[in-house]
Formats: sequence, C-alpha cells, structure tokens
Amino acid sequence: MNTKFRINLISISLSLISTLLIVFVFLLILNKNPFEIFSVIFTEVFASGYGIGQTLFKATPLIICGCGLAVCFHASLFNIGAEGQLNAGSFVIALVALKAGSLPFPILFILCIVCGFVVSGITGIIPAYIKIKKGVSEVITTIMLNFIILALVNYFLVDFFAVKATMHTEKIADSNMLMKFSDIFPFFEGSSLNMSFVIALLLAFASYIFIYKTKFGYKLRAAGFNETASRYIGININKVILLSFFTGAGITSLAGINYIFGYKGFYEMGFSSNVGFTAIAVALLARNNPLGIIFSSLLFAVLDYGGLSVNQLVPKEIMLVVQGIIILSILAVDRIVKSYFEKRGIA
Amino acid sequence: MHCLKMTAVEFINITKKFGSFFANRDISFSVEKNTVHCILGENGAGKTTLMKILFGMYRQDSGSLKISGEDIRFNSPHDAIAKGIGMVHQHFMLIDDFTVMENIILGNEITKGIRIDFDKTAGILNELISTYSLNLDINKKISEISISAQQKTEILKLLFRNSDILIFDEPTAVLSPAETDEFFKIIGKFKSSGKTIIFITHKLNEVRKISDKVSVLRRGMLVYESSNENRNLDLNILSQAIVGETVVKANTEKADIVFPGNDGRNAISLRNIFLKKDNVSRLKGLNLDLYKGEIHGICGVEGNGQNEIIDIITGLETEFEGEFSNPGCSISLVPDDRLKKGMISEFTIGENIILKKKSSNFISERLLDRISTETAEKYDVRVSDIKSNLSSLSGGNQQKVIFARETELESDVMIFSHPTRGVDINATVFIHSKIIEQRNKGKAVLLISSDLDELFALSDKISVIYNGAIAGTFGSEELSNFRNEELIRKSDESTGSPLSDKIGKLMIGIKTE
Ligand SMILES: Nc1ncnc2c1ncn2[C@@H]1O[C@H](COP(=O)(O)OP(=O)(O)OP(=O)(O)O)[C@@H](O)[C@H]1O
Ligand SMILES: [Mg+2]
Repeated sequence: MNTKFRINLISISLSLISTLLIVFVFLLILNKNPFEIFSVIFTEVFASGYGIGQTLFKATPLIICGCGLAVCFHASLFNIGAEGQLNAGSFVIALVALKAGSLPFPILFILCIVCGFVVSGITGIIPAYIKIKKGVSEVITTIMLNFIILALVNYFLVDFFAVKATMHTEKIADSNMLMKFSDIFPFFEGSSLNMSFVIALLLAFASYIFIYKTKFGYKLRAAGFNETASRYIGININKVILLSFFTGAGITSLAGINYIFGYKGFYEMGFSSNVGFTAIAVALLARNNPLGIIFSSLLFAVLDYGGLSVNQLVPKEIMLVVQGIIILSILAVDRIVKSYFEKRGIA
Repeated sequence: MHCLKMTAVEFINITKKFGSFFANRDISFSVEKNTVHCILGENGAGKTTLMKILFGMYRQDSGSLKISGEDIRFNSPHDAIAKGIGMVHQHFMLIDDFTVMENIILGNEITKGIRIDFDKTAGILNELISTYSLNLDINKKISEISISAQQKTEILKLLFRNSDILIFDEPTAVLSPAETDEFFKIIGKFKSSGKTIIFITHKLNEVRKISDKVSVLRRGMLVYESSNENRNLDLNILSQAIVGETVVKANTEKADIVFPGNDGRNAISLRNIFLKKDNVSRLKGLNLDLYKGEIHGICGVEGNGQNEIIDIITGLETEFEGEFSNPGCSISLVPDDRLKKGMISEFTIGENIILKKKSSNFISERLLDRISTETAEKYDVRVSDIKSNLSSLSGGNQQKVIFARETELESDVMIFSHPTRGVDINATVFIHSKIIEQRNKGKAVLLISSDLDELFALSDKISVIYNGAIAGTFGSEELSNFRNEELIRKSDESTGSPLSDKIGKLMIGIKTE
C-alpha cells in the first residue's frame, strides 16, 4: 500500500512534468512565449482572492463528479455517462427546490439531494441492468444514454418548466441559496465560491471511506480486479454492478448543487459544460482515489480558469489540448514507471 | 577444449532483495549443457525469483550470470530469449480467446510483406509438434483446451523461438500422472536433441527419475547440491536438505464419527444431472452424494466434469437438468486455479480473507493486519512483508492463504480441488492433516485431485469421473484392502495393484469387470 502509493505519486508527478515540457514546446512552436503565458496563468489564478475563489468554484463539480465516477471505475465499470446522469439529477434538484420551496431550508436541501441522487442513480441502473441481463458493455450504453437523457431533459425543460425564451427554470428563492464564501471572507470578493465546495470535500472523504474502508468497498474493488475469482469467493457480482452504478451515478447529481444552490439559483441547459467528461480524466489522474481527486480537480480547475485568463494570448482551446496531453502522458508514463519498478521487484 | 562438460548457465553470487528481505542470497552454481537440472526448495525458498533473474524479468542486486561462458546482463526477457533462453511459468501466460497458433506467434510473427504468413507458420509448428510428439491442435482456442495442452502450447512457443535453455517452473503440478509421463518423454526428446533443461518441482520421485543434477535452495540460499547421473539419489537426504529439519509425518488418523441415523448425514446430493455449455454436453447423467464426516475423492483426467460439479454445488451454475439438493449447508471451496478463481492478487492476505469472513461493515487496517499475521503464523505462510499483496507471494504460499481462508470458515461442505498444487513437502503434510481434521469434525469433504497418492491417502470413498459421469465408485473396504496391499507391494514395485489399474482404466473410459 505504502510503496504503491509512492510509485503512483512518482508516476503522476512525472506525467505532469512531461506534460509541462510538451506544452512548453508546443507554445514555442506556436511562436508564443511560454514563460509569459505561464506567468499570466499563475498570477491570474493565485494572485487574487477572486482567482483562487473562482478556481475552487470550478473545482467543486469536478470533485463531486469525479468521486461518483471513482466508485464505478473501482468496480471496473467504465461509466462514460456522467454528463447525462448528472443533468437528470440536477434538473430534478432544481424542480424539487422550486416546488417545495416553502419547506424549512435544511429539510428542503436534504429532500433535493435525495431526489436528485435517486433520479441520477436510476439513470445509472439502466446500463447496469442491460449489462447484467444482456452482457452489453456499459461503455456503449452509457454513451448512448447521454444523448437520450439530455434530449429528455431538454424536452421537459423547454415544454414544461423553462422561463419563456430561455433555457433555464425559474429561480429558487434567495433565502434558499447556500452561503457564499465572500459573505464570510471578504478575501474572496466577487467570486462564486460557495458552501458546495465544503460539501464536495466532505463527499470526497465519505467516498474514500466507502471505497477503502467498508466491506462493500472491498467487494466492489475485488469485483473490479478479478470478476471470476470474486464470483467463486461468493461475491454477488450483479449486486455489485447495480449498487456501484446506482451510487456512482447518484453522486454525480450533487454536482448540480454548486450551480443551482450556490450560483445561479436555477437549472440551465448546458450548465455542466462537460464536467461529466472532464471528470473522467480527473478520476483517472487520481487513480480513482477520492482524496487524490480533490487535487486533480484543482489542477483541472486551474487549467480551466487559467485558460480563460490567457484567452487574449492563445486560444482558450489550448487548455483542452493540455488536458488531452495530461491524459496521454498519464497512460504512457504509468506504463514506463510500473515496468521499471516491476523489474526491480518493487511494485 | 580441455574440459568435457560445457556450462550452459552459471550463477555467480546472485543476490536479490525485495525491500530488506533476501529472496536470493549469494547463490552460485552452474548448469551443465545438455542436462536436466532440478531446482528444489520449500515454498518461498526463492526458486521462481532466481529463474526470473535468468529470464531477464528481474534484475539481481548483485552477482552475475554467464551463459555458455559469456558474461551476460539482461534488461528484459527479450534479451534472454535472444540468447536462447525460454521459460514456462508457474502460471501460464496465454490469451484465452486466441488460438494456440496465435498465442505462439504473438511477438514472433513470420511475415510475408506486411501480412502474417500463417501457412508457413502452421507448417513449422506442425513439424515441431510431430518431432517432439506434442499432440496438439494449433487451431483450437486456449479456452477450449486442457491445462496440459496449454502447457504444451507454452512449450511449443519456446521451440518456435529456438530456445536452447528451457526453464520449467513447476510444470508437473497441474498434470495427471499419465500427462506427467508424457511430459517426461518430451523432456527426454529435448535432452536427446541437445537442449538444456532447468526444472522446478516439489515431487521428489520425479526428481530421481529425470534429473542429472539437483540444487536445493532454502530461505534464499543454496544449501545442497547432488548429482543424479546414476539415478540413485537418496530421497531422504534430499528431503532433509529441503526442509532443513526433520520431515513432518502426516497424521492421517481418522476418527469414527457416529451420526444419529443415516438421514442426518446427507449433505449434498446430485441426481441424474445433465449440463450443456456452449452446446457441448459437460455432464451426462451424473450422480454424486456427499455425506458428513466423509471424504469423497474424485479422480479423473481434468476436464471430465469436475469443475462443472463444483459450479453446481457452489450455486454458480444454475442452468442444468436433474436434481440437486442442498439442505442448507454452507460451502467452502479451494479452487483448482488459484490465480483465476481463488484470490485477488492486488489485495493483501487480510483483505483476501475479509472478503469471505464475517465482520462489521467498517474494516480497519488494524483488523486486517491482525488477520494477516495470525494466518501467516498458523498456516506457515512465508512472506517478506505482511502488508504486501498476494501477487508478491510465492505460488505455494498463495495456495496456503486460500486454503487458510476456506478452512477457517468452518463450512458444512468443504470442496478441495487440487489442494496441494504447488505446495512443498511439509505444507502438503500439514494440508492433508487439516483435511482429515475437517472430516473428523463432521464436515462433508469433496476432494478432487489428479494426485492418486493423495486420493488414496485421504479418501473414505473414491469415485472415478469420466466424460461427465461417474464411471465407478470404490468404498472404504476396497480402499483399505488396497492400502494393505500397498504395504506389501512396496518391497516389489514391479507390479501395479489391481485397484489402481482398474481406476487408471476407468479414467480413460475402459470398463473392466
Ligand atoms: N515481487 C515481489 N515483491 C516482494 N516479495 C517477493 C516478490 N516476489 C517474491 N517475493 C518473495 O520472495 C520469496 C521467494 O519467492 P519465490 O516466488 O521465488 O519462491 P519459490 O521458491 O518459487 O516458492 P514456490 O515453491 O511457492 O513457488 C517469497 O517469500 C516471496 O514472498
Ligand atoms: Mg515458485
């Protein structure tokens, strides 16, 4: 465990360093000054409370969604459907917050979370069920379900719930909004960072305990490592698939809290801006460890917010390229590092 | 040349550490060309580690290697293969969904332009198969062929690469006696065609039969060497050298168990079971009863329905016809293939055990460490670090962990499939006495094994399985007669006993009256 952790750390650091080098060369080829760009990013992100706040704000849904995916990935269930799953749940969270807005806030909030969790969870049970019954790979079904769910949410939103001529629901009562960090710490003045970030951190710790310290977590990981052996050991694989898909997808719904309760006060089509996909990379980078996901989410948030801040110097899309390079170098460097240590019999 | 004997491999002061643990310590010996050299030693003695160093999979911390007198430093198995070294691993490395041929040419493709020249490859392979009498169909998928055929696939791979020095890590552990004989014939052909064979085993009678020289490792060090050119190796001295102390004698005393009436003894019953898988009939009207306080041995060539019986009793297989009854007995299983079915390699000892053990929903590191330590002590599991994953344990020690997990469960029905596969002499004795202990506690025991001696030593009853049905059952009377005959027969080994002859014939489908 300890050596494995160290090897992972080495591998992750090396892949980040190599990414940095590749991007450096890439910028040189584009005839930009890498130092200038890096320093702009650095000052924009870290030099002001606003920058830090915005970065943490952007990290929040990534942490939440990454944790949900980690649950699935540990069971070797390659859930590509988080984008759809989290939109279904978030939509329902907004609707419940509107319809039951008169309830006392704590009750309302918990009710919203439960409803969102269950609805997202059910969208996760669909691919799980198809996998169990028909043996269809969850990769295919979850990708397809993204389109279906987003289309359905779009239909219900536009035809029944949206404010006229917009793509969003009505706004929930101001009194039901979560507290912003800037309300307590003037340091974060102007940023949207809110209590959802704390919820995300708590969730990461809870996911860590769930995956690594509970009996079900052990069974889930055992099934992920060796399905046949798990069957013979007496683990109910179907139950593991259903439960991890339900839990994993359910968790992703909470990503909507940041936007709905913490920022805009309504559900809006496209609010998630591909968090469900970015979170795949976030979870992979952290080796599906929820505590690691906190850090990889921060890294991706820096790239995201940093990308905005250097928009004038380089196209914003360059940060997508950087994210891609990170993923590729994780995969490549990991192989190299692992085989290096294997030869020495350390891994 | 002033010396007659040529050295194929020379190990010079090889030391290999994992953390602070010495897996190999200052090992020096040489393997002569064109000989069969056996490497022996307890589970965890460092045999596989040494071979992995020779095959370029591990790098030694100090010491050096000479191949045919030339100093060598391998960076990977590729380098070793280029030097004519080939290895058949303790755990095969084949892709289930590929055919024999596809597995063999993977990485060694013969090409015509950019296309693989399958015709030419098939020609070469079939020639090798007939030269060495391998008796193998190269177009079958790995998942469809028996373990011994998989092993032949691995052997063919080495031949295809023109390997001269062949390393076999416990090749006979997975073979039936007949298959073992066939394997030794193949080894004989290798020798006569000038190849050098390094051979690891725990079975001493095999050693005397085919080795020219033996080297014994204990706790990472070379402790004994002997030549066996005249086939007169003293097995007592050898086994002493292996364990370093006296060899434990088996306590296989069976207690008489009294049951209230015959009804209470019934545990599992299979009646007229038919099972088809992928349109192939696997079980054809099979009947089997397991009784409490009885060891029911199943003997047969692998793939005649043994695994299907296990799948039905454990409840993993439900699509069968016929009557299966289990009056609520809990079931433990030590499976035949530990890597595939028995364990999670990425988990520690404690983590593997907690998966089946009753415990609270939250699992602390302390609890896991305690389970690991207790198990390692009680079952003599040799580990370099109690927190390490099962993948870093030696094969025999992995087997002990699985055996420990299952017997500690105290289930009503115990299924042991090849329980001593890859396990050393003393541990075999220990496992045997544990199996008897389970029986004496009143458990119903199903013992599946390809080791006839093991079956005869432990079973109260032996059934022969052939082609998906029980071909014959021998009760306690016949077995005790056999044991008595065996004692007399020991002095004159030329004639086989009638019972083992009969069983041997039933195993290949010949009925005698
Ligand atoms: N990768 C590894 N990391 C840590 N320890 C290891 C590793 N590989 C082997 N060991 C340890 O080194 C020792 C020797 O292992 P090895 O596999 O060489 O034993 P062996 O003689 O082949 O035993 P067996 O007869 O059970 O196959 C064992 O105690 C094992 O736990
Ligand atoms: Mg070994």
